[in-house]
Order: sequence, then C-alpha cells, then structure tokens
Amino acid sequence: MEHPARGGRLGTRLLGHLGGVLLVIWGAATAGFFALKLVPGDPVEVMLGVQAQVSESVKAGIREDWGLNDPLPLQYIEYLGRLVRGDLGTSYQLREPVLGVITAQLPATLALTGLAILFALAIALTTALFVRGVWMTRLASSIELVLVSSPSFWIGLLFISFFAYRLHWFPVTSTDGLAALILPALTLALPISGILSQVLRDGLTRAADQPFALTARARGLGYPALVARHTLRHAAADGLTLSGYILGSLIGGAVLVETVFGRPGIGRVTLRAVIDRDLPVVLGIIVFVAIAFAVINLLVDLAYELIDPRLRS
Amino acid sequence: MSKRLSLTVAVIAATALLAGCASPAADAKQEITFAIEGANLSAGHMDPHSSQLDVSALVGRNVLDSLVAQDLDGSFKPWLAKSWEISDDQLHYTFELRDDVTFTDGEPFNAEAVKANFDHITAEETASAHAAAMLGAGVAYKDTTVDDEYTVTVNFTSPYAPFLQAASTSLLGFYSPKVLETSADKLKTGGPDVTVGTGPFVLTEYTPDQELVYTANPDYNWGPENAEHTGPSDIQTLTVRILPEPSVRTGSLTSGEVNVATNLTPNTIDQVGDGFTVKAAEYPGIPYSLHLNESYGVFADPKVRQAFSLGFDIDSAVDSIFFGQFQRAWSVLGPTTPNSYDPSLEGTWEFDADKANTLLDEAGWTERDGEGYRTKDGKRLSARWIAYTPIPDDRAALADVIQSDLKKIGFEIKREALEPAAYNEQYGPRTYDITDWSFANVDADGLRSHFHTDGFQNASTVSDPKLDALLDDAVSTSDEAERTTLYQEVQQYNATENLMVPIYVPSLLTGYSDSVQGLQWDLYGRPLFYGASIAAE
Amino acid sequence: MTVLIGLSTRKPPAVGVIVAGVFLAALLAAALVPSIFTSTDPLNAEISQALTAPSAAHPFGTDQSGRDVFSRVLYGARYSLLVGFGASAIALVVGLLVGLLSGLSPKPVDTVLGKVIVVLMAFPEFLLALLVIAIIGPGEASLVAAIALAAIPAYARVARSQTLVVRNSSYVRSATALGVPRLATIVRHVIPNTLGPLLVMATIGVGTAIVSAAGLSFLGLGPAAPTPEWGVILSEGRNLLDRAPWVAAFPGLVITATVIATSVVGRALRGRK
Repeated sequence: MEHPARGGRLGTRLLGHLGGVLLVIWGAATAGFFALKLVPGDPVEVMLGVQAQVSESVKAGIREDWGLNDPLPLQYIEYLGRLVRGDLGTSYQLREPVLGVITAQLPATLALTGLAILFALAIALTTALFVRGVWMTRLASSIELVLVSSPSFWIGLLFISFFAYRLHWFPVTSTDGLAALILPALTLALPISGILSQVLRDGLTRAADQPFALTARARGLGYPALVARHTLRHAAADGLTLSGYILGSLIGGAVLVETVFGRPGIGRVTLRAVIDRDLPVVLGIIVFVAIAFAVINLLVDLAYELIDPRLRS
Repeated sequence: MSKRLSLTVAVIAATALLAGCASPAADAKQEITFAIEGANLSAGHMDPHSSQLDVSALVGRNVLDSLVAQDLDGSFKPWLAKSWEISDDQLHYTFELRDDVTFTDGEPFNAEAVKANFDHITAEETASAHAAAMLGAGVAYKDTTVDDEYTVTVNFTSPYAPFLQAASTSLLGFYSPKVLETSADKLKTGGPDVTVGTGPFVLTEYTPDQELVYTANPDYNWGPENAEHTGPSDIQTLTVRILPEPSVRTGSLTSGEVNVATNLTPNTIDQVGDGFTVKAAEYPGIPYSLHLNESYGVFADPKVRQAFSLGFDIDSAVDSIFFGQFQRAWSVLGPTTPNSYDPSLEGTWEFDADKANTLLDEAGWTERDGEGYRTKDGKRLSARWIAYTPIPDDRAALADVIQSDLKKIGFEIKREALEPAAYNEQYGPRTYDITDWSFANVDADGLRSHFHTDGFQNASTVSDPKLDALLDDAVSTSDEAERTTLYQEVQQYNATENLMVPIYVPSLLTGYSDSVQGLQWDLYGRPLFYGASIAAE
Repeated sequence: MTVLIGLSTRKPPAVGVIVAGVFLAALLAAALVPSIFTSTDPLNAEISQALTAPSAAHPFGTDQSGRDVFSRVLYGARYSLLVGFGASAIALVVGLLVGLLSGLSPKPVDTVLGKVIVVLMAFPEFLLALLVIAIIGPGEASLVAAIALAAIPAYARVARSQTLVVRNSSYVRSATALGVPRLATIVRHVIPNTLGPLLVMATIGVGTAIVSAAGLSFLGLGPAAPTPEWGVILSEGRNLLDRAPWVAAFPGLVITATVIATSVVGRALRGRK
C-alpha cells in the first residue's frame, strides 16, 4: 500500500540515519583521540626507534614540529578540523599521511575479504540447500561447530603446512595473483560459513514450516524451487542480521590471516601500528573502521526494509 | 668436407664464439629481482644519512656513491675521489675528486657537493642516528672545507682512524645538492624525485612496503677502482622486492620469482638446492652478545659474571638453533673485522657447569631456596634481562636455552620483552642486569661506544681508565699494526672481565641463482649489483 | 559472537555434554595442578632433543629449544583459562552493572547509552581488543582487560533490555503503588532474570575469550616468552611449519577442543532454561 507521504518519511529517515553515522564517527574519533593521549611513553622516542644517537635539542625540535607541545584542547580542535577536511594525520613511523597509508593497503584487504565472502556464501548456500535429513544435519552441525570454534589463524597454519608445504598445490612463496589468494580467503571464510550456513538452515527450516510453504509444496513446487523463490527471502533477513557480525569477523580475522600468510593489507598496517605504537595510524584506523561500520549498518538497515515489506511503513 | 661447407662451419663457429664472449648473453633479459626483508624501510628509513638500519645502507648503495671504496682485504681504493692525502698530524684529509661525475638530475659532482652532503649529515634537523657518529661528529669531526672546484678537505679536531672506512659506506654517500637544498625533509620517506645520487642505478619507482625499481644510469662511468666492470651497468632493471616473511623470501628464490634473495634465515637454507649458491658472510663488528650491567645488581661481582658466561651451553645451542649456519663467537669482535680480531681467544672458554657452580659458591651464593635457586643473605641470585620487541624466534629460542641451563646451576633469569619506548625507559637509566644485541661495523672502533666511559652504547656501564686509554689510542692512530695490538688488548680485557658474553657471529645469508653473474660483495657481505649480469640459460 | 553460537535450537546429545564437561574438568585440573599430567618442566630446554617428532617420551614433540610441547601446552592451560574466565567474569559483572544503570537512568541518558552499546557491539570484538592493547600496551593483564572491555557491550545489551522490560512491567507499577521502593523491586527482579542468560553467554564467552587471547598472543601482544600461553606456542610454531608442524598443530587442537567444550556446555545450560 503506497503511503502518500512515503517519500518525505524516507527522506527524514535517511537524514536520521546520516545523523547517526556522523555521531558514531565523531564518537569514535573523540574516544580514540583521548584514549591515545593517555598512552604512556614519549612519541618522539617511538619515532626515532632504539639505538638512535640523537641529541635532546633535536628531539625537542621534533616535538615542536608535530605540535606535541600544544595544550590538549587545542590539539583536539586541530585534530577535528583536520578530520573534517579528510586529513587523518601523519604517521609517526612512515612520515606519510595516514589516509594514504590506509588506502594504499585497502585493495589487498578488499580482495581478500571479497573472495572470502564469496566462499562463505557459496559454502553456506550449498549446505543450506542440500543438507537434509537428521544424520546429514547432525554432521553438518558438528562440522560447523568445529569450524566456528577453531582459531582462524590455526586453520591458516594447517592449510599452509598441508597444502603448500606437503602437497605443493598452492604457492607458499608469492603474495600476488589469484592462486595465492585462495588459501587465505578460504581460511577467513570458514568460520563465517559455519555460522552462516547454520543460520540459513534454521531460517529455511522455520520458513518451510510456515503455511505458505506447505501450500506451495502441495501445489507441486519442488524443494529447491521453494527455497529459491520463497523461503530464502525469509532466511536472508536473518542472514542480514548477522552481516554486522560477519563484517566484524572479516575485518578482525583479516589481521590474523594476513599475518599468517604474510600478505600486505590493512591487517598488517594495523598490527605494525599497534606494535610500533604509531598512534596516528591507530587513530586513523579507528576512525576509518567506524566510518565503514556506520555506513554498512546504514545500508543493512535500508536493505532490511527492502527485503521485508512489513518493515517499510 | 667441401671447402664451402667448412668455411660455413667456421663462420658459424666463430659467430657462436663471439656471441658467447660478448657479455652478457644477448638473449637473456638483463633484469634482476632482489628480495630483501626490508620490513622497516618504509618507516622513514630511506635515507642512509639519518637511519641506523642496515637495510637503508643496503638499498642506498645502488644510488649513492662514496669518496672511496674499501676492498675485501681492508685497503681503500679510489672511487669518486681520484686520490687523497692525510696530513701528518692526521687532522686533515684532502681529496682530489674526479671531474667527470654528474648526478642523475644533471647537477655536477664537485667539492661543494661533498660539503653540502657532510653538512647535511651533521645538521641537527637530520637527526642522524648513525652516519654522523661514523663521521666522528661530536668526537673529532670539525668541518669540511672547499679548497677549489674539485678539491675538498675534511678537518678533524683529533685523529680519527675510522674516517676512511666510514667514507666508503653509503651512509656517507652523496645526494644531489639540489635535492638537499629543496627537499631534505622528504629524504627519510624517499622516492624517485628525492633519492637522487650519482650511482649506477636510478630509483624510478617506489611502492612503500612492496618494491623499489631501479633502472641503469646510462652515463655511469665512475665506478670504484676495484670494481670488475666499467661503464654503465649491464643490468637495465633492478627490482628490489620487500618480503618480510622468511619462508616467503626463500621460497621466492627457489621458485625462480627472484634471482637474488638476502636476509635468508638459517632454518630455510636447506630448501635452497641445485642451481643456486648461498653465500654466508659473517658480519664484522660486535657479534650477538649479552651485555652484563656491572653497576645494577649481581653482576657487580666479576666471579658471578664469569660463572654466568660458563653456565650455559653456547656451542650446542647455536649449532642447533641456527642449523649449523652461524658460528659460535669467542671474542667481542667478529673474525672478519679487519685489523683487530684476536684468534687466540678461540676455544678458551667452554660450557662448564662445574666451574660455574664453584665460582658461584666462592662468590658466597651457597644457600638454595625452595625452587632450587641460589641465595645469599636471604636474597635470590636473579638477573633481569630486557630485550626490545620484536624478538626474532631464534633469539627467543636461544634465550629459552640460556634460561633453562642457568636454572640448573641455581641462577634465575627473568626476561622482559619491552616495546621500544618502554625499553628505552629502562635502558636509559641502566636499570637492568642483562641486555642483548649485535652491532655490525667494519671498524673495530665500534667497541668504543660500548666500552668507553663516555660510550653511548655502554650497556655494561664499565668505566676503566685503562680501557678508555686503549680505545682512545686505537681511534687516533692509522697504523694498522698498532690498532690490531690495541684492539687485541681490549678483547683480552673482556675475556677476563666478562662485561660482554659473545654468543654467535651473525652472518648475512644471500642466495642467488646460477644465472646471475658478476655479483660483488662488500665487507658486510652485501651484494653489489654494479657489474652484475644475467647469463643465458 | 557470544550470542550467536547459541542460535541453533537443536539439542546436542547428552553424551556430548558429558564428554565436554569431563574435558573441561580435566583442563581445570591441568591449570591448577599440572604435575598430575606431566612430570616434565615446561621450561626445561634439552637442546639435543630440539625439533623431534611426537613420540612416547614427548607426546606432542619438542620445539626449537628442545622443550616438551605437551607439558608446555598443559602448563599453558593455566594462563589461557585464567584469561578466559577472568575476562568473561569481568565482562559479565561490568556488563550487568552498565546495563542495569542504563536501564534505570532517565530516558535521554538511557537512549544515548543504549546507542553507544549498540555501536560498540557493531565493532568486531577482536579488533576492539586489539585497539585497547594499542592503548594500554601488551601483556597478560592487558589481554584480560582488552578482551573484557570488548565483550562488555554484549552483556550490557542483554542486561539493559531486561532492565527496561522489568522497569515498565505492571508488576513493578503495582508494587510501587503499594509503597515498595521502585529501585529495590526492579533490581530484585532484574538480577535473577538476567543472570541466567548472562551466565550462558559467559560460559560460551570463556571459549571465545580464549581464542581471542590466543590470537592476540599469536600476534605478539600477550604475555612474552617463555610463558607457555597457547597463542605464544602457536606463534613459535609458525616458522617451523615445514620442519616441525606439531609445534603449531597441537596447541591449536587444544584450543579448538576447549572452545567446542564450552559451547556444548553452554548450549546445554541454555537448553535447560
């Protein structure tokens, strides 16, 4: 039923969502900024590293250049100002703009997570469609439990040990090319596929018991067709709920998987920044992830309304 | 054979011979890919003038030339300087420069350029963490003066023997003066427009944390006298790939993805098989050692220090953990350090738990507590070992063995892995018993910073006028024989006092495919690509 | 994650629960008194025995220093379980308090707090923990703090929604009308109702906390060597995959088994409600 003022409502709702996004970003930026100011230790020492033969006057000069002597509120205002202009600051270690550091490494991680999502969906859909009956379901559930419980980095190590070193099916050596992407993407995909297939199967079973489904079956609709045309939509709503968790799992997992496989990407940048105490980069990552999440949550909310007409008005 | 046929055969044979003689083979692509560890290169370490990391000097050598070159026997050969003279009081080094050298951005290389570069190294804004000290800044270096267009003099306030050696490294290499004037602040980040020198290669592409691409400098005609090649490099493209993972690095060599790979780890070496050569070059300078702080805790007692040095099985540990690739160290200088190593120390101190036990008993640590550790007056025999992260796996394994062996003689070792900032907080005021590192240096003068009362790396906090005198004398004379004697005395001093416990001599392991020819090596064992070429398969 | 494992409504067979329970009990015993299971000192480095494959003397093989991996894993149970239980317990208590406080606060405060909790929940727990470590620095205590902080939002959310439900219930209104202090009524009703689901979450949470701790230690952000924490052992095994895969294989196996056990037990607890 079309509501005459729907366009206006949609507009205000979108504005509300956007406001929420901005609030999240500001919150994350502020929380991150002040938290990092609490970090003990001298950033200048961090920048210079160990066994550096540098005089005190030079260190003072560096401190001055980076504005580290300014009062805290002033530093905060300057920080927000830079943020609005899209400037995430400059890395202590790399002496380069943080935004540049992140965007340079982003494609590698996106390729990895993209392929991982594809794998996870493929696995989940296959098991959801074709696993039926008590024993198969029990087996699938057990396997899913193992997958969800195993540390992703351990699975990655096992994969390397087995497929790369023993069977020589995949290259250990290179980090370029599709072949080198398969094992890491699979490692990242497995825990997610465990959850996803479980949820999809539950959703499908529940939907299959609904009156509309029984009617369709009575009219002669085969099970796969039933799934494809009707129940998948219902189950997909549940899947969407998980999308936040899935994305989180992907990004968190990317740090570990990239480290295990020695691949470049956001994960490696984050880890180096944490280990090297490169605070501007850490802060930049916090803000960046906040933006990504807020935007994705927004999209998920909108997608929800698309899938489930009941939520629209 | 008919005359015509034999003539044809002769012509073919001659052509083939000539083609074979022409180096390199005409059909092999003259491109080399070189894998390095390089994890920290992008972290502001692209400038050898300011960085203290080995990798900076390694990649810098392709682009920056030096005044002199040091041959593998330790002698110095002309390079950008045709000749040089040292004044009698050893305070002035006057260099006659070549007049045919240009930077790849067109600027001429001359005395002004030398001065500009040395000024840059010693400038406060550069915050040089190594090069300035190598130039003798703060100790002996006074300034650099331009005598005429191609004559330059480096002046010192006191004799400084390590100068020529320093001048042969890329740390004292030359940037274009134009770059120094306009973009000195970008040098640490590096890039094709700022990392500009006179070298055999030009940096044409730089993707931080991934690779550097160099192309041959077509005008290059001023290589070092001891180079086996003249004129521009045969190699047209040198790609340096940054691969921090040891297994990936070795694998990239064996799979043929790269032609040369360095910083190979001992545990991956056996994967390198036929068709490759592995060169193991021991680093000169101070081997990986444990520095015992004599002014903090139990190490004030020389008997305890000696017991410590005899209390763990260095031979077995080093042999096992490094898979036989690295040698156990006997002295505080590595065997390849020119004009200084004391071979008489080899084999003079072995693992001896009994002797260690006796020494500790003599030192008064006779009681034992509930966990088996020795005590004296109610205090446990315990030492605090600080190390800065990241700690390589093999050094961690080494520490595990040391800790375990010492426990058996009742000595407790507590280890702390600290991030650099936290480490500096402890290291600065010297609030630790043990710390560890190695220090590669072609000149034995590296010992001065470790053992001199004023030494900035004096982790043992030793202060002995006798030792100071030895080190001061050694740095101010150029007489090689005299320096050797003095440094041998220093090594003997440590053998008695056990301020440093040398463990193993790190080597640079470089693997290269048999198709790579003409590679030369510097005294650190690093590959030099000028003069290299690829042979046809 | 803590909520999601319990999504399946299928009850596992009782046998599985018993096995899981026994395994966890054995692990607890190993954590408290490791010498029951092994007489080898986990720190004892017999360099001549370095990198030997699993055998009768060394069921899990030896590592690069010649230490027995089995005893290291056993002694490591102490650290891993400590972090797992510690982080979950702290997250439960603090999450309960935060959720309770939020639910009891005036509407605007509660709305803001509620939004903050939802936003924090959107962040991946592992990443949150990683960022906390970036601030407070690595170490064992840091692991507990970071993982607890990252897990709190999930608990707070459950506690908050329960508090709101009770707060608006007719029971509370009638009790207040009768003169009983409102706060006391709410608290007295919220806690028993919430504790159940929170405890289930916490049980499963122990497993995920252990995995997170192992992950952070693997990255080098946890306790330092030679502490035999499971993640530390895994990272030691990382460069030995071709020579000595057992160093990495077994700790991972134990971690997986522990997580499975906690989720099986957790699901059983949930099933009983």
